[in-house]
Amino acid sequence: MSKLVAKGIVKTYGNKDVLHGVDLELESGKIYGLIGRNGAGKTTLLSILTSQNPASAGTVTLDGQPVWENPAVLEHLCFSRELNQLSGGNANTMKVKEYLNIAATYFPYWDQKTAERLIQKFGLDVKKRIDKLSKGMLSMVTIIVALASKAEFTFLDEPVAGLDVVAREMFYELLVEEFTETGRTFVISTHIIEEAADVLEEVIIVDKGKILLKENTQELLERSYHISGHEDEVNRATAFLEVHHEEHLGRSKGVTVLLAPGQSLPDQYDVSIQKLSLQKVFVALCGEES
Amino acid sequence: MNEILTQEKSIYIQIKEMIEDDILRDILLEEERVPSTNELAKLYTINPATAAKGVNLLVDEGILYKKRGIGMFVARGAKRRIMEKRKEHFYDDYVKRLLAEAVSLGITKRELIAMIEASEDGGESHE
Repeated sequence: MSKLVAKGIVKTYGNKDVLHGVDLELESGKIYGLIGRNGAGKTTLLSILTSQNPASAGTVTLDGQPVWENPAVLEHLCFSRELNQLSGGNANTMKVKEYLNIAATYFPYWDQKTAERLIQKFGLDVKKRIDKLSKGMLSMVTIIVALASKAEFTFLDEPVAGLDVVAREMFYELLVEEFTETGRTFVISTHIIEEAADVLEEVIIVDKGKILLKENTQELLERSYHISGHEDEVNRATAFLEVHHEEHLGRSKGVTVLLAPGQSLPDQYDVSIQKLSLQKVFVALCGEES
Repeated sequence: MNEILTQEKSIYIQIKEMIEDDILRDILLEEERVPSTNELAKLYTINPATAAKGVNLLVDEGILYKKRGIGMFVARGAKRRIMEKRKEHFYDDYVKRLLAEAVSLGITKRELIAMIEASEDGGESHE
């Protein structure tokens, strides 16, 4: 069982701290979700974990071996970046086919059969130039690179951005299929949280350059509830609980609570108690004004 | 097994209950193999660990059993056991909520019983 470990990662651009002291352990054989608001530091973190960007401080190791500029380790990692028509570099004027050929030589465990199957499945025209692709087609290319790389730890940054709903479902089906067959580790960042939630074994919430939470998705959802009713009754019911995201309307009040280990739901109060989706939990935790 | 997952309950509980429903409806027969956690994960597009959690609850309850290297099977007597278990929970799951709603609407117990007796479905004919 491999382990990718980041310790004390700090990243500073000029005088702006993007990441302040991130500690993170990723075990092999899991699908992780990386969620956070725009500018929270997700992409920076992913690029540092995969040695595409140096950290200002801190270390990243795979089974104790440093990741930075270490080919023996890097062959097990794949960071399939979000492609963009406007970003500079040679990739833009290349055809999809040429881009995939380069990926094939770069990733030692590349599986051409997988790549071809996915090209078929997405109906992607490989003769098209990268800078002529739509946002959704660019996402297809990043998904193909990620899945065909066969890297033990594979990171996808916003893989479903711009994809239509059918293609998004197709992506999650392909992901689960690949995962059940290979047990590779996937880390996926996304803003469309609800569609990913059921596929993620663990969720990592990044907020303002820090890891706010890393937890089994089902366990997080089982301790998160929305409690609402008469303000006084809600206050009594939640007096000893961790409360987020208060909302008021006249005498009525609604809050999100996260139960701590050993705590149970208040049951002798006249309040409504409802389960929450991962998206609602995320908004309750990260939606508060700073 | 082809129901749709909802948000109201934990996914692994829904997986567990769907397998139970299929056993109750003779879609899955006793001593028959049930879909593997990977098959369930692919069918519902969920994490295999979540599917496994639901299946393992049924193993713990003796509804399913593991045949090494082959898969999960429906235990003999599983159907009867599920019915007994659901009967035990029937009061908590249904009657309590029914009474609470009746009280808040001012429906008396007598009126409620009259409604049940007047209803055409269910009751006597089964068992």
